Amino acid sequence: MMRNSRIRRVPMALSALAALAFSVMPLPAVLDPFRPDLLVLVVFYWSIESPRAGGLALAFFGGLALDVIRGVVLGQHALALTLMAAWATNLRLRLRVFSVLSQSLTIFTLLTGYQFVLFWVDGATGNPVTAYSRWAAPVIGGLLWPLVAGVLSRNHDR
Amino acid sequence: MVAFRNSDTSARTSGLLIRCVLYSLLALGLIIFDKRYDHLGQVRRFLSVVAYPVQVAVASPFAGWNWFRESVTTRDVLRLDKVKLEAELRLANFRLQRYEAIEAESQRLRALRDNTADVADRFVIGNILDLDLDAFRERVLVDKGARDGIFVGQAVLDSGGVFGQVARVEQLTSEVILVSDATHAIPVQINRNGLRTIAVGTGDMSRLKLPYLSTSTDVIAGDLLVTSGLGGGFPAGYPVGTVAEVKRDPAQSLADVEVRPAAALDRSRELMFVWLKPAAAAAASALAMSSAAAPAAAAGKTAAAAVASKSVSTPKPTTPAAKPAKAALNP
Repeated sequence: MMRNSRIRRVPMALSALAALAFSVMPLPAVLDPFRPDLLVLVVFYWSIESPRAGGLALAFFGGLALDVIRGVVLGQHALALTLMAAWATNLRLRLRVFSVLSQSLTIFTLLTGYQFVLFWVDGATGNPVTAYSRWAAPVIGGLLWPLVAGVLSRNHDR
Repeated sequence: MVAFRNSDTSARTSGLLIRCVLYSLLALGLIIFDKRYDHLGQVRRFLSVVAYPVQVAVASPFAGWNWFRESVTTRDVLRLDKVKLEAELRLANFRLQRYEAIEAESQRLRALRDNTADVADRFVIGNILDLDLDAFRERVLVDKGARDGIFVGQAVLDSGGVFGQVARVEQLTSEVILVSDATHAIPVQINRNGLRTIAVGTGDMSRLKLPYLSTSTDVIAGDLLVTSGLGGGFPAGYPVGTVAEVKRDPAQSLADVEVRPAAALDRSRELMFVWLKPAAAAAASALAMSSAAAPAAAAGKTAAAAVASKSVSTPKPTTPAAKPAKAALNP
């Protein structure tokens, strides 16, 4: 068990790094507001797949890296990601037996929670973003979930 | 269908709640310290140096593609570009001939009235890193930072006009907030009649607005807006945008004025960071010029110049000494 979780640290870190890169990759301005939170999906995946391999640590430090790269207040994404990863870890046994549709819906709820924490911290620190399009990311993330989870489960070593 | 392993179904995740609470408290602490007390400057600087390679790595394929596209342009395209640039340069030089004389004259006159604006003194050019920081905030990351002497609030221009100002400085990079950001406002002046107001960003790169003008204000489409230099952040007289549309609804007390930014906010790759020469120093140099250049002027003017040159010689200058100059000119 412990050996397994140690082996999977590498794909975990690699996938998180790729998702981090995607979060600041230049996209056409039209698509920009609809960029899915890929890092969150990756963290959810690892929280559900191997909760003992340090999903929460990944969530916290991944979120912190996102804060630094995006230049927002330190701890914003770290807080949101930690809370939602903990929730996902808590739901993992149910999530594993859900159908794809129910999984997507659950992930959508978690992503909305994530977005809400970000929204709240934005407001509390005095620069609220009230554009409605920020709530599009959870929808797209929920739709992308089967794809992301499929790609990740195919590629990490078994 | 996504296949998860069922290896840990029996094992409980030990202390999930405790770890969650710990990490959350840590994150909350970070937020509060970073925002409220601003104690994390050093930590941030360090972390941003660590993050810099990632940022450069993400930006590099796009930078590489641009480089590739530039290096395979044909000779004809380059020649056309050269002809165009030469024509532009000729025109710019032609305009510049008068500009320097007018600039000096304007500084002299302003110095006499004791309201010399801050003048741009020194420039540093930075390149925009190809990153999307945040979809909902108009910000860019530039490859010049604290190492190059960049400071928060510094004015940033591009070749068209005012681009924005520095919002955050790291060791190697800095974040520039665009004039079009929804939280950005810049003091401006209508070039045609000198009317001062504030231009506010909309969150849309192609649009600014002037929300504080009443319906009866003298503003028409095509008016050029320049920085007024009030507030001290920006040098005076740089173009901010042109008025695109003025909507006057008689039922409203304020006009709805839309402005096209002068800077190429979505296309510029190179930005200029500006250091201002403090107003007092600029006034002193302008006055020194005027007193040296006008030995045989008309009687009224010599009186003023005499007072003015006295103000140069005294170390604590313009404010008290220029008052009598005004008084002398008034009757």
